[in-house]
Amino acid sequence: MEEYTREPCPWRIVDDCGGAFTMGMIGGGIFQAIKGFRNSPQGLKHRFKGSLISIRTRAPQLGGSFAVWGGLFSMIDCSMVKMRGKEDPWNSITSGALTGAILAARNGAVAMVGSAAMGGILLALIEGAGICITRFASSQFTNVAPIPEDGSQMPPGSPFGGYQQYQ
Amino acid sequence: MPVAVGPYGQSQPSCFDRVKMGFMMGFAVGMAAGALFGTFSCLRFGMRGRELMGGVGKTMMQSGGTFGTFMAIGMGIRC
Repeated sequence: MEEYTREPCPWRIVDDCGGAFTMGMIGGGIFQAIKGFRNSPQGLKHRFKGSLISIRTRAPQLGGSFAVWGGLFSMIDCSMVKMRGKEDPWNSITSGALTGAILAARNGAVAMVGSAAMGGILLALIEGAGICITRFASSQFTNVAPIPEDGSQMPPGSPFGGYQQYQ
Repeated sequence: MPVAVGPYGQSQPSCFDRVKMGFMMGFAVGMAAGALFGTFSCLRFGMRGRELMGGVGKTMMQSGGTFGTFMAIGMGIRC
């Protein structure tokens, strides 16, 4: 999600905010459609109406909370990039934890710690998965035989008489 | 995503591939997160033994599915 195709820093906040809103809106729409469908009284008409009502009321809420999370997250991330002068997974983990703490600030210190731990762990998992995927992709990349840059670096005794087959 | 573009002009993965990869990644992350948080909440709930296993497994599957769906959407809106 955030670890690919990252924008340069100040605009990343807007990008993440909007992306998170869209993601929450669509995902919330899917889940609330099912939930509203199941919670409605009998009859197909009631059920579709219930699912529509549920989407209309709940999906923007979920999108909004996603957007707040994403926006605050990338704000802290950008601040840390500026302050530490480098971009690494620790940045995202710390900013995830701080975001969790800040958003739970009104519920007291205990809730802040719990929410911070949750945010940090989640972001650490996501970053770990991203690193794993990048490593996997790069290991796939090295399996491909590297193309010779220059004809003079070819091995002299090539079986195709200097004409290497490129597939 | 900065996919390793091979020397033979290997094309970018298609949209569906990216969505699928996002779902896989989200599912893995969600399973791990569900294992962690599910264990805590089930222990607090007072589950022990076999019951605990079932509860943790259920939480893992649930959070894996939720995460995977959201991650797939997140990949889908960016391609």
